[in-house]
Amino acid sequence: MPKTIIDIRNISKVYKMGTQLVHALRDVSVSIDENEYVALMGPSGSGKSTLMNIIGCLDTPSTGTYLFNGTNINELNDNELAEIRNREIGFVFQTFNLLPRASALKNIELPLVYSGVKKYDRIDRAEAALKSVGLEDRMEHKPNELSGGQRQRVAIARALVTAPSIILADEPTGNLDTKTGNDIMKLFQNLWESGNTIIVVTHEEEIALHAKRIIRLRDGLVETDEINQNQVKF
Amino acid sequence: MNITESVRMAIASIFTHKLRSFLTLLSVAIGVFAIMGSGSLVSSVDETVETEMANLGENSFKITRMPSVQTSRSSRRQYNKRERIDYKQYTQLKKSIGDMAFVSVESSQGSMIVKYLEFQTDPDVTLQGTNEVYFNINDRDVPVGRAITEADVEFNRNVAVIGNDVKNKLFKLSNPIGKEIKIGNQSFEVIGLLDEKGAILGQSQDNQVIIPISKFNKYYSNWWESLDVKVKAYNKESFAYVLDETIGALRSLRGDKPWEDNSFEIETNESITEQFSGLTGYLSYFGLLAGFFALAAAGVGITNIMLVAIKERTREIGLRKALGARRFWITMQFLVETMTITLIGGLIGIILGYLMSTILGLAMGLTVTIPINWIIISLTVTTLLGLISGLYPAYKAAGLDPIEALRYE
Repeated sequence: MPKTIIDIRNISKVYKMGTQLVHALRDVSVSIDENEYVALMGPSGSGKSTLMNIIGCLDTPSTGTYLFNGTNINELNDNELAEIRNREIGFVFQTFNLLPRASALKNIELPLVYSGVKKYDRIDRAEAALKSVGLEDRMEHKPNELSGGQRQRVAIARALVTAPSIILADEPTGNLDTKTGNDIMKLFQNLWESGNTIIVVTHEEEIALHAKRIIRLRDGLVETDEINQNQVKF
Repeated sequence: MNITESVRMAIASIFTHKLRSFLTLLSVAIGVFAIMGSGSLVSSVDETVETEMANLGENSFKITRMPSVQTSRSSRRQYNKRERIDYKQYTQLKKSIGDMAFVSVESSQGSMIVKYLEFQTDPDVTLQGTNEVYFNINDRDVPVGRAITEADVEFNRNVAVIGNDVKNKLFKLSNPIGKEIKIGNQSFEVIGLLDEKGAILGQSQDNQVIIPISKFNKYYSNWWESLDVKVKAYNKESFAYVLDETIGALRSLRGDKPWEDNSFEIETNESITEQFSGLTGYLSYFGLLAGFFALAAAGVGITNIMLVAIKERTREIGLRKALGARRFWITMQFLVETMTITLIGGLIGIILGYLMSTILGLAMGLTVTIPINWIIISLTVTTLLGLISGLYPAYKAAGLDPIEALRYE
């Protein structure tokens, strides 16, 4: 039996927008095991961003339970959530979100800074992460000296450096051309094959097809959740 | 995550916004400059007064017609009504307390010209008439030749002890002892050379000639001028008694009625220092007040700038939170950043204030000190300023919702 990392049971999320209540999620249950490769799909307004935020421990559900590695996320306070994000989740964003004035290496070190890793250890681990995405010759480069693809690689290295339980990527190819996008998806495939758990949030069918399992959301509900029979591999 | 890391981040972000940081630094520097500059200048004045002005020896006090420091014009008018202290009062006073204390009498004229053969000084020499006790009471030595004696005063001799400045002007390297100098139309034999003291408040203590008071009164004094009398008790134990006796004797000599105040001033080292502190106190309050207002304004400016910075860096804050920065560390980051700015500004202000007070102090002939206490005050104030003005922005930054912050454009 593979280990269950994410265990979401009957969660809902209600926002208040002015006087109106918005039901972003209604009774969603999802379970993701170790070393799965999942695509989270859906049009805008489907609730996929909300679900992603909850999975990423940036937000908590209104009702229902979310167990992350057995820990009940609903019961955690701000600082405990920050700790979970720091140790267990590697974020990859559409817009890369690198610190513009810091070198690639410094950017990758950042999560380790927050978890209190000593400086020399930090540099070693950041270098190793940068090497694993094939950018060992770009350590001292600032983000503006890197191409879009290289920036996203740095961001992925930053996500990997804490050895998290899951890598959560939000439209990781959204700001990249097709070829560079494919390179990034290839990198995700390699990471998956080497044992990482990967969740990619996307609205592009082609991107989702790289995953092993596709969860489709619509109107705050899980529409389908099935194994991708046509997984595209490089 | 630790403080060094926060300081490193803070310095990096200060360099990112050079102009903004510079202006903020400047506002802090100006305030600290005012505090530090006035504070240390006042310290120097106080130090000078303590070490040099109040150079009455131990167990000594000075009797004058007017106090040495006068702060208002109305009190001056009051003092002007006082009768002068004349030679007769001095001799009678000496008669009544002479067996328990040394008593000197002093009177001087500035702007004198001293001549020797074809050489002459600028018209800036102080001519001092006094008696044999002067050297003991004023703590001056006569290392070459001899001092004025009681007999010199009694027999009204034409003898003079000269200061080093006068010696250098008139005699260069040759020996002045036994030479004849002229002051006005009177000739004096140089009998001694005064030890070197340097300058106090820009005034040289070596540009003087000392002659017997009897000679001085006869040729150089105006009838309306008051004499200074200095009294030195033989020992510490009798000081208070001597002081009491002197006041009593002088009051009766000068005919002060029982209900009247003394018609003269008694000054001790402490009272001189006190008078000056009163004067410098105003100065330092003014500087402090100006400085604190400037810093209060700077503080408001800093809070404002930090709020702008946080707005601009909303995404960065969101990212940091997503990557696991706890509230505490976001708060720390911005607090340390604010405090780094204020401290650097403070250091600049301290250096500039110190330079200004040193330059002014040297120009005024003060004993320039390194005002440790003012440096500590300035550093404390700037640290507090950073803390107070950074607290609200930092708290605001730490409270941002990471989802909102990451979405912020």
